[in-house]
Amino acid sequence: MTTTEFGIVYAVHIITSHFGSVASKVCECLLRRGPLSSREISRLAESDINHSKVKDILYLLIQHNCVQAFSIEPPDGSESKAIVQYIALFSNILHRARYNKFSSKVVNEELGSQCSGVLDGLLSNGRLTLEQLIDRDRDSKKQMGSEAIRDSLQKLVAARFVERVPSPEPVLGNKDEGPAQKKRGAKPSKIFKEPESLEERILEAATPVDAIRFPFIFEQGSSSTVADDDSNISEGKRKQPEVDYTSGPSNEVIWRPNFEELIRRLRHKACVEIVKERRDEGCANVMKAMLEVGRSQEKKAKTDKSVRTPIFFSVPMSMGSIYEELIKTDAGREMTQERVEACLEQLSATSSYLPAFVIESDGSYIVDFKSIISVAQKDEMESVVMRRYGKEAFRMFRYLSQEDRFVETDKIADAALTEKKDTPQILLKMWKDGYLHMQKLAVTGVYIPFLLWKVNKLIVSRQMLDEMYHASLNLSLRLTHETDSEKELLLLPMEKLEGALKERRNKYRAKSVLLTSARFKLDDAIMLFHDF
Amino acid sequence: MSKRKRPEPKSSSGGINEDEKNILGLIRSKQGMGATTYEMRTATKIQPTLITRAVASLKKSSLIKEVPNMNNKGIKHFLAVEFQPCKELTGGDWYIDGALDVSKIEGLKEICVRILERLKSKVVTLDVIYSYFEKASSDADKLSREQTREILKNLVLDNVVMEVKSNGLTDFSATRIGEICYKLTGKKSGGGEARDGAFALVPCGACPHIGLCTPDGVISPTTCVYFQKWLDF
Repeated sequence: MTTTEFGIVYAVHIITSHFGSVASKVCECLLRRGPLSSREISRLAESDINHSKVKDILYLLIQHNCVQAFSIEPPDGSESKAIVQYIALFSNILHRARYNKFSSKVVNEELGSQCSGVLDGLLSNGRLTLEQLIDRDRDSKKQMGSEAIRDSLQKLVAARFVERVPSPEPVLGNKDEGPAQKKRGAKPSKIFKEPESLEERILEAATPVDAIRFPFIFEQGSSSTVADDDSNISEGKRKQPEVDYTSGPSNEVIWRPNFEELIRRLRHKACVEIVKERRDEGCANVMKAMLEVGRSQEKKAKTDKSVRTPIFFSVPMSMGSIYEELIKTDAGREMTQERVEACLEQLSATSSYLPAFVIESDGSYIVDFKSIISVAQKDEMESVVMRRYGKEAFRMFRYLSQEDRFVETDKIADAALTEKKDTPQILLKMWKDGYLHMQKLAVTGVYIPFLLWKVNKLIVSRQMLDEMYHASLNLSLRLTHETDSEKELLLLPMEKLEGALKERRNKYRAKSVLLTSARFKLDDAIMLFHDF
Repeated sequence: MSKRKRPEPKSSSGGINEDEKNILGLIRSKQGMGATTYEMRTATKIQPTLITRAVASLKKSSLIKEVPNMNNKGIKHFLAVEFQPCKELTGGDWYIDGALDVSKIEGLKEICVRILERLKSKVVTLDVIYSYFEKASSDADKLSREQTREILKNLVLDNVVMEVKSNGLTDFSATRIGEICYKLTGKKSGGGEARDGAFALVPCGACPHIGLCTPDGVISPTTCVYFQKWLDF
C-alpha cells in the first residue's frame, strides 16, 4: 500500500521529535519526492541546508535504518558514473513509534529480559557492533557482562530478531534491461510477476543471503565466517564501497534489529488474539501451535527470492504435527486430540459472521492469515462507521460490504430497514468522507438520476489508514501540548506538591497515560492495515 | 339506479359531475397506485383548474383519499377509498402513514433475540422463529414468513445474529445439512464479539471534522473541543 498524505506528515513528525527539524526536512523531501541524490536534496529541501549537512543527516538516518542508499547501474557503454541516491524507508520510520512493542511484547516474552536489553540498545542506536554493545553495557548502571551480551546477541540472531546490516549501497541493474532479458524465450503471460516497487527492489538487492544475514557463529574481531562477499548478494550487484558499513572499524560485524521478523511475530500474536476473541481459548491455543509449526517453513517461503508476493497462507500441516507442537505448552497439554479436532473444525467453519481461519484440504490444514486479519480490519472499519455515522449507517455499510456491488438507494433502505427519506443523506455523508463509492445512473424520462452505492474495500482501507495516521499524529501533538502547558509544574518534585498543585499534576499524569495508551492501541490498528 | 343528472359546474351534495366522474374512473382504474394530478390532466384532457376543483370535491365526498409518495415527496397520489396504497407508495409493510415504524421493528427484533436466548439449541431455522410469530396472540405481532426473514436479516446487519449453514452435526443435529440457520453472536452463544476498534475509541475516530483538522489550523489537536472533553478528568 502506498503512503498517504497524513502518513508522510506522521513520519515527518516522528523524525522531528527524534532527530530535530533539520533531519525532518531532509526526510520529508525524500518521502515526498522519492529517491534523490544528496545534491538534489540540498537543492530541493525547503530550508537552506548545505550539502555536507545533508550528507551528515543522511548518514544519521542510515544509522537509524530510516534511509537506504543505492545507485542504478549506468546503461552499457555509458561512461557516466552511477550516482548514489537515497530512499526513505517509510515503514522503518513508523516502526520507531513501536520500539517498546518489539522489545517488551516480542523479545522479552520469548527470549527474556537480557535479550530485550540488547535489542533495546540496537533499537536506540540503530546499528551497533558486539564490541559497541559491550562498551555500552560497561557504561550502564545495570551491567550484564560481555559474555551475557554475546550470548543474548547470538540468541537474537538465531531467532532472527537481529540481522547483519544490509549492503550500504546496492547497485540496481538498469531498469529497462531486466524485463527484456527475462522475456526472452518465454510467453509474457507465463512470466508475469507482480511489479515490484523500487523500494522492494532496493531492499532485496541490499539484503544478503541468509547465511550472512543470520550467521550461526560469530566471534568478536573475526569476520571470516561472515565475510561480506558480493556473490552472496542476490539480484543486483554490489558496488565495492569506500567504507564498508556492514563491518565496523575493527572489521567487526554490525548488527541491527530485523523489523521483518519482529513484525511477523506481532502479526502472529495479533492472529492468536483475534482467534481468542472471536472463537475461544482452545482455538487460540491450536492457532498458536499451528503458527509455531508453520514458522520455519514460512521463513523459507519468505526468503525464497522467487516468491515476492506477501505470505497470506502458512504451509499445509497435519493434525499430528499440530498436536505434537501443542503438547509442548502447558495449556496445550490439557487438550485431548478430540478437542483439537473440534477446534480445527470450528476454525474451518464459515458463516456470515466469520470467514474460515483455517483451510482444510486432504487432511492437512493451512492458516489463512489474510482472512484472520481481515476480520480485525472489518471490526475497525465498522466501529468507526458506527461511531461517526450511527446505527443505520452501520447497517447500510455492512449490507454494502456483504453485497460487494453497486446497489440502488431504495434497495439499501429496504435491506437495512431504514427510513427511506433519511437513507440518501446518510449515504451521502459516508460518501463525502470517502467511505463509500457512488455512481449516478441517468435513466431517460426520469429527471433525478438513480444513485448507486458500493463499499470499495481498498479505498476504505486507504482512507482509514490515512485517518489513523492523522489521529496518531494528533494524539502525539496533544501530549506535547499538555506537557508544554504544565512545563513549570513538571519541574517541581512530586513530593513537594500539595493541594491544588498535586491534583493538577495527577490530572496531567492521567491525561498522559490515556494519550499514550490510546496511541499504543491505535498503532496496533495501523499495523493491521499497513504491516500485516 | 340513479337518474342521469345534468352536468353541473359544481357537484351537488348527493351526486358528482361529469369531470369528477371521469377522474374517479381513472383513479379507480389505477387501483393501489392511484393517480397524480399530472396523470389526470394528460389522460382526461381536463383543464388544471377544473381538475383541482374536482379532486377537492371528490375528497370532500370521501370517494378518494390522498396518499403521499415515499420516493417523490412533492407528488401526491389520489386513490379510490376502497383501495389500499401499494408498496411503491407506502414504502412497504414496515411503513405506517408514510413513516417507517421503527418502534415495531425494534420490538420484533427484541422478541427474536429473546427467542434465540431462550432456546436450548443455539441455532434455529427461519421456520422455528416464524412459528412463534404465526402463533402470536395479537394481530400486530403476527408476521409473514418474508417479514420474519427481513427482521432476522436486519439482526444480521446489526451484528447481533449470524447466519450459518447447517452441517448436520452437534448444534445443527435438528436441521437439514446446508439449511440456513440463525444464531446469536457474542459470548452467550459461545462465540466471540466484534472488538471495539482502537480508532473509534479516540476522539478523531468519531470526529466529523477530521478532514478539516491540521496541526496549526483553526481545527487542531491543541484547540479541539472533543479532545478537551475526552481529557476532562
